[in-house]
Amino acid sequence: MIIIMKATASEDQVNNVIRRVQELGFTPHVSRGVERTIIGVVGDERSLTRSNFEVLDGVERVVRVLQPFKMASREWKQEDTVIHINGVALGGGGLTIIAGPCSVESRSQLLETAHAVKEAGAHMLRGGAYKPRTSPYSFQGLGLKGLEILAEAREIYGLPIVTEIMSPDLVSLVAEYADMLQIGARNMQNFALLHAVGKVQRPVLLKRGMMSTIQELLMSAEYILSNGNMQVALCERGIRTFEQYTRNTTDINAIPALKQLTHLPVVGDPSHGTGKWELVRPVARALVAAGADGLIVEVHPQPEAALSDGAQSLRPENFAQLVREVRAIWEALREMEGAPQP
Amino acid sequence: MIVVMQPRATAAEIGAVIARVQELGATPHTIHGRERTVVAIVGSTDGLTPELFEAMPGVEKVTTISQPFKLASRESHPDDTVIHLDPRPGLPEVAIGGPAIVIMAGPCSVESRSQLLETAHAVKEAGAVILRGGAFKPRTSPYSFQGLGIKGLEILAEARELYGLYVITEVMTPDAVPVVAEYADILQIGARNMQNFGLLHVVGRIQRPVLLKRGMMSTIQELLMSAEYILAGGNYRVMVCERGIRTFEKLTRNTFDLNAIPIIKQLSHLPVIADPSHATGRWDIVPAMSRAAIAAGADGLIIEVHPRPEEALSDGAQSLKPERFFELVQEVTRVAEALGRPVLGRGGENPTGERNA
Repeated sequence: MIIIMKATASEDQVNNVIRRVQELGFTPHVSRGVERTIIGVVGDERSLTRSNFEVLDGVERVVRVLQPFKMASREWKQEDTVIHINGVALGGGGLTIIAGPCSVESRSQLLETAHAVKEAGAHMLRGGAYKPRTSPYSFQGLGLKGLEILAEAREIYGLPIVTEIMSPDLVSLVAEYADMLQIGARNMQNFALLHAVGKVQRPVLLKRGMMSTIQELLMSAEYILSNGNMQVALCERGIRTFEQYTRNTTDINAIPALKQLTHLPVVGDPSHGTGKWELVRPVARALVAAGADGLIVEVHPQPEAALSDGAQSLRPENFAQLVREVRAIWEALREMEGAPQP
Repeated sequence: MIVVMQPRATAAEIGAVIARVQELGATPHTIHGRERTVVAIVGSTDGLTPELFEAMPGVEKVTTISQPFKLASRESHPDDTVIHLDPRPGLPEVAIGGPAIVIMAGPCSVESRSQLLETAHAVKEAGAVILRGGAFKPRTSPYSFQGLGIKGLEILAEARELYGLYVITEVMTPDAVPVVAEYADILQIGARNMQNFGLLHVVGRIQRPVLLKRGMMSTIQELLMSAEYILAGGNYRVMVCERGIRTFEKLTRNTFDLNAIPIIKQLSHLPVIADPSHATGRWDIVPAMSRAAIAAGADGLIIEVHPRPEEALSDGAQSLKPERFFELVQEVTRVAEALGRPVLGRGGENPTGERNA
């Protein structure tokens, strides 16, 4: 339920509503806009009626959010959420490009890649230190050592870092090094992990599970938001279908569908969405044309030598070409008068 | 197997290779490229070896095609296929698969003369060059509107005369092929008929361009195998269409497999058309997905437009109003131009030349 205050409501009237929400056993989420203040009521609202709040002074109207995800919905918050990641903005009409290797393999490999993606125009660096691998015998990542290398690359190249977190007990450690925490596709419904990242104040990149619906993705985002962390971005990275020619089927329909349903930024991952480096550029273009706020792309200086995801990693020169192409599309659409909204 | 002729091979040398293939009981398909001619050998190829042709005059090399689709593969035909529609008096030339993007639009079904003419006028104004509209409709329920049949074809032909638009319409049965081909400029094979092999055989034996839609439960390879049926019959003017596949996601009618567009462009030389209307099932995301399809490399779009979607007899939820379609064409033009491709009928030159992959 959302309580919309009148534009003329006083601070006392706002505080009175907040108190009433708490008295009834709910958690208020206050967002003070330019014109008016909106108070979200979080909790099992079946026991509430609109008249609980409509009678209070300064209240203009009370709206029930129809979607099962509340704080993630556009009904809750109409304007796009913009997340600030150590100086880089994500959401709200920009085009934010995240790139780097699948895994941090060595100091030299990561620094070389960071340098290349920075040169090509990336805004942020990706790289896995803790890797969720299908086989227990595959390379599992460098762990803490990997985080240290990522931090060094940030210092040298000025790129904020996004890296994956796999278990709740590692949240505080990874949050110390990373600028943005990634929840991988396999952990999209790891609810304990969602709870834990909801309690820290670090931006989160939540990837869609390969067998999860759009609604399930938004329900997982709701776990993080309802725990108090408002800085959540969503990532479409392909779903599993009968088509086996590609590793996944990139569900680009999900981009405009999400932009309608939610105010959260939406990032596309053409590397996992295709699994084939030759398809990454055209699919990246399609994601941006469909309205994605950003891209996350795997880049490796020698894909043939990569310890993971070599087949879907771009060489730096191909990545530079990708950046030129997606920028051209983004600019062409931005220049349009009354820029198109999905 | 393909026999690649030398650039300077004479007509007699090419003819000798063709005759040899026929003597051996296989079927030759001759492809005249920009630089050289290729003779693709299909049919009963058991026992054929490259040595049978390598020593013949004018032959440069003989290679085998590794894909199960032979004539549809890029190995047999490295240049993009550009499909020229059969000219109609008073209409501009249209080439599909060249540098220019081609936009096809119109209602799901021809419902009445006034509905079709009103839509045709609107889509022409917005920049479409080809009019779509179903006269024979494959509907899930036998109780749903099944289309106007021949009457619908006559209305489509009238709209072509009035507004200067080529016509694409679906053909559902082999016996209807001659009559539909008489009226239509492009025959559409719908998703539900992608593996109707009897129908594929028949459209392979006529000389009209065909738009072959991917089945909602078919893989990319199966789509190209169905294209192969038509090509093997001797009809080389085939374009394929990605229109969404069935997945677990139910927020959209289908899942638009845009990965398929760059894949098909790699595997095949055939033009690729995208259908964002069926691939989403929701008019509100059709413009975004039209932009995405062009950004991924599609050669054209086929879009459902209806003057009053709320009254449509079929597919109302995924049909755009004319004014929204007009905006869509402008957005798509922006994306196409950012990638260096014009949109046909939107001020660009009429392309007839071939384009490199």
